Amino acid sequence: MSSESLHGWLLCLLAAVVAAPLVASAAVWLGIASKSPRTPAVAAMIVKLLASLSMTYLWNLGSGEAIECGDRLGGGSFVCIDGITVVLMPYVSLVQLAIVLVAPNRFLDTSATVRILLAASATFALFSTAHPLAMGVLWIATALPTWISTRNTPGGQPAARVFAIAILPAIVCLAVGTLLMVADPPWAPGSGPVGASGGRLVAVAVLIRKGIVPFHSWYPALFSGAPLSTALSATMPQVASYTAVRLLIGHADGVATELVVLSQLALVTAVYGGALALVQRDLRSLIGTLAMSQSAMVLAGLAGTLPMELNGAFCVWISSGLALTGIGLVAWALESRAGPLSIQTPQGRFRDSPALAGFFLLFGLATIGLPGTLSFVADDLIVSGSLDEQLHAGLLVIAATVLSGIAVMRGWFMIFGGPAAVDGPRHMILPRERIALTVVLATLFVLGLLPAPLVRSLERAAEQLLATP
Amino acid sequence: MIPVQTISLPSVPLAVLAFDGLALQAGTAHDAISLLVMTQLVAPALTLVVIGLPALLGRPLAERTTTRLVGAGFTTAFLASLAVLFVLFMRGFATEVVHVGTWFAVGHHQATIELVADGLSVPYVCFSTGLCALVNAFAGKYLHREPGFTRFFVLLALFGTGMNLMVLAGSIDVLFAGWEFLGISSTLLIGFFHERSNAVKAALRAFTTYRICDVGLLAAAVMVHRAVGSGDFERIFAGTWPNAECLVPSGAATVIAILLVFAAMGKSAQVPFSNWLPRAMEGPTPSSAIFYGALSIHAGAYVLLRCEPLLDASLLARVLLVVVGLGTALHASAVGRVQTDLKSMLAYASMTQAGIIFAEIGCGLRVVALVHIVSHAIVRSLQILRSPSALHDRHELEAALGGHPGAGGWSLRMLLPVGWQQGLYRVSLERGFEEMAAMRFVIGPVWRLLERVAAAEQAWIDWLGAKRASVNRSVRDSFPNRSDGDRR
Repeated sequence: MSSESLHGWLLCLLAAVVAAPLVASAAVWLGIASKSPRTPAVAAMIVKLLASLSMTYLWNLGSGEAIECGDRLGGGSFVCIDGITVVLMPYVSLVQLAIVLVAPNRFLDTSATVRILLAASATFALFSTAHPLAMGVLWIATALPTWISTRNTPGGQPAARVFAIAILPAIVCLAVGTLLMVADPPWAPGSGPVGASGGRLVAVAVLIRKGIVPFHSWYPALFSGAPLSTALSATMPQVASYTAVRLLIGHADGVATELVVLSQLALVTAVYGGALALVQRDLRSLIGTLAMSQSAMVLAGLAGTLPMELNGAFCVWISSGLALTGIGLVAWALESRAGPLSIQTPQGRFRDSPALAGFFLLFGLATIGLPGTLSFVADDLIVSGSLDEQLHAGLLVIAATVLSGIAVMRGWFMIFGGPAAVDGPRHMILPRERIALTVVLATLFVLGLLPAPLVRSLERAAEQLLATP
Repeated sequence: MIPVQTISLPSVPLAVLAFDGLALQAGTAHDAISLLVMTQLVAPALTLVVIGLPALLGRPLAERTTTRLVGAGFTTAFLASLAVLFVLFMRGFATEVVHVGTWFAVGHHQATIELVADGLSVPYVCFSTGLCALVNAFAGKYLHREPGFTRFFVLLALFGTGMNLMVLAGSIDVLFAGWEFLGISSTLLIGFFHERSNAVKAALRAFTTYRICDVGLLAAAVMVHRAVGSGDFERIFAGTWPNAECLVPSGAATVIAILLVFAAMGKSAQVPFSNWLPRAMEGPTPSSAIFYGALSIHAGAYVLLRCEPLLDASLLARVLLVVVGLGTALHASAVGRVQTDLKSMLAYASMTQAGIIFAEIGCGLRVVALVHIVSHAIVRSLQILRSPSALHDRHELEAALGGHPGAGGWSLRMLLPVGWQQGLYRVSLERGFEEMAAMRFVIGPVWRLLERVAAAEQAWIDWLGAKRASVNRSVRDSFPNRSDGDRR
């Protein structure tokens, strides 16, 4: 296949990835599938997944050079497909497909489905651009459905308010920061204080949107107050990490100080989130603090200067995202059957839902580095990379993994352990839940047992990223 | 200076000649050993998949099929290990390294999958797979119609896979993977009777201890990579066990050795990480026998034996081992004497022997330690397997004698003054105040601090969100307990 036709195919597939959820949302909105909005949503997500997997396959056939189209501004093009895009797209597609499959019928009404699909489309558009201004617009497009869904949830207004208080300044910082960076690129020779201020503002925006200490409060609040689909869709793709990759890490020479600050704060957040997860009293807060810790670990690795650290960070991005999505979906399935779950005392849910207990355990183990899962590889790379660069970074990463591990197992034992009501109802897992959870779990194991292609691909992407002028 | 025992395993030139007489070329022998070593690993792993996957898909296999499959897996591994032992014996216990492949590589960091068959690993696999096969047969009857029947055997297969992976590991990365499987299967089996709150607490306690001490092995693995550029044992040691030499520079070797000792202390329940062990007896008897009487309790000792050349290079680590080992032995011996139930007493007896084994390794008595591990494991697992029926035997004995059989015999304790005996009794009854000190000075303050921080976080979120209206309360209000029918 010639280079031109390969580029053409990749752009067509990218268009399909972004357009499929838009078409499905229009169909749902127009009432074409008013009885079962899940059907078009699942169809769109499957199309997205297949298209993004095809993009990954075709990309690996090519030379590995980035495809850029449209205006180039502030070091990034309007459409950008490179090694990072083609690895992250199938991951995000899988997360969103699983969310749509597991969501309880009661939750998946027309408006919620439309919001999920629009957010998915915006997320994919964001992941296919490196243009600073487009990113600013897409930050708004991804945050808005999250805020509306949270606000529309009964009792979700406080969480929506916390989310808005955090995200509005982040969007403002990003908008102003990117404008300043475009006006005076900090990586260009002779750059002045305007560009430096822009870099700092973008770094602050990333800190807030990533939920890094001291801007982390919206993370557990969102998981406590929003529907879990909204919380997972908003946090698992990690749009702020992607923004950091495009606007900061790709131009490390000009924003070195900002990256050091990001990395150190992210390390502190990873440990702090793990420690907080230990003492949480309900399952949603546990997932929220764990997600905060893992997300910070990704940023800590991304802000490193070694390809191994970046590689480890990308692996943590995918492995923790899939595993936490799995835990979140199991929690949602349990909650839809039995209401909110406390983890202060053993709840005895094993007898009710043995299959969900099994999935929760396996996803939990996949979060904490079970050998044979991708998280084992990810932990190995990020710990080795961090220790190679700085001793304290490696030790903090190890501390974060230890604390998260204990918190996950505590969560499992508290939810499923303990005496059960002898005559209590049995909640069998639904086929669509089983399919979604099995596919996500199988992905974690397959990538963990055969990580070489993924790691090779990420290594190439990391080297290209660090070499970007 | 602690003397280092250097024992050469007997070479068998006549046998080698006889072996050569079979016209088996070195390459062919290596291929055969590779195949057999892989069989030892694959057989239990395959069992795990074959019985685990249907259970995960909601179609668990029948009890008899499950036990037969697990038994077949362990028996196959056992026979393969016997065959390797025979071949190794014929070849004078020369080390055979099986390079399975490179798992992944990034820059200079390579995670290779290497297995090693030598005078330490192969006898250990023979003994561990044989024991697993026997316990499998016992558990098939013991857990008949138990609700978690399949779960037990899935975890037993996971344990067997992890044990073989750890023992046969030819690199520290593979060893760490096996080590993790051991910890996870052990935790889940302690919490096997999950409906009992005590079992849940005991499992969490064990997992927390494992997880904290695993830091040692993880950090040691990373240090090894930094020191020699690879995790392969070939790059860390030169020569054959038990007389290998350390290739790691002295300073790094000391740090790595101390980290390994730290890791081993957790898994082998050495003071001050010992209080999880008596509580671990909450699990089913067959798993207690194989984990805390036989294999898991000695996993730390095995790692130390495997990395013995690193200990040779570090006097500090060896002194630490002797001190920790003897301290644990004394502590467990005293505390074990005042236990009022048989399984706790046996747990402390295991701990005592594990402590002595640590001291032996610290003194450089490698072969003695290996023999001690195997003999102790066999005796202790038999005792634990017998413990449920021992009560019946005791009742029968008392009935036959027409009363209590009488006090025990003389012990060293009687040499102490009465006041000292009473003090020792009190200290032993409180389990040496080990747990109390940990709770009061370490765990308690840290936990309370974290709870206060979490409460402050929640107050801040409440203030941000709804002007002091609790987010949690709102969430609770929004999710009243629903009936099953509401959700679909």
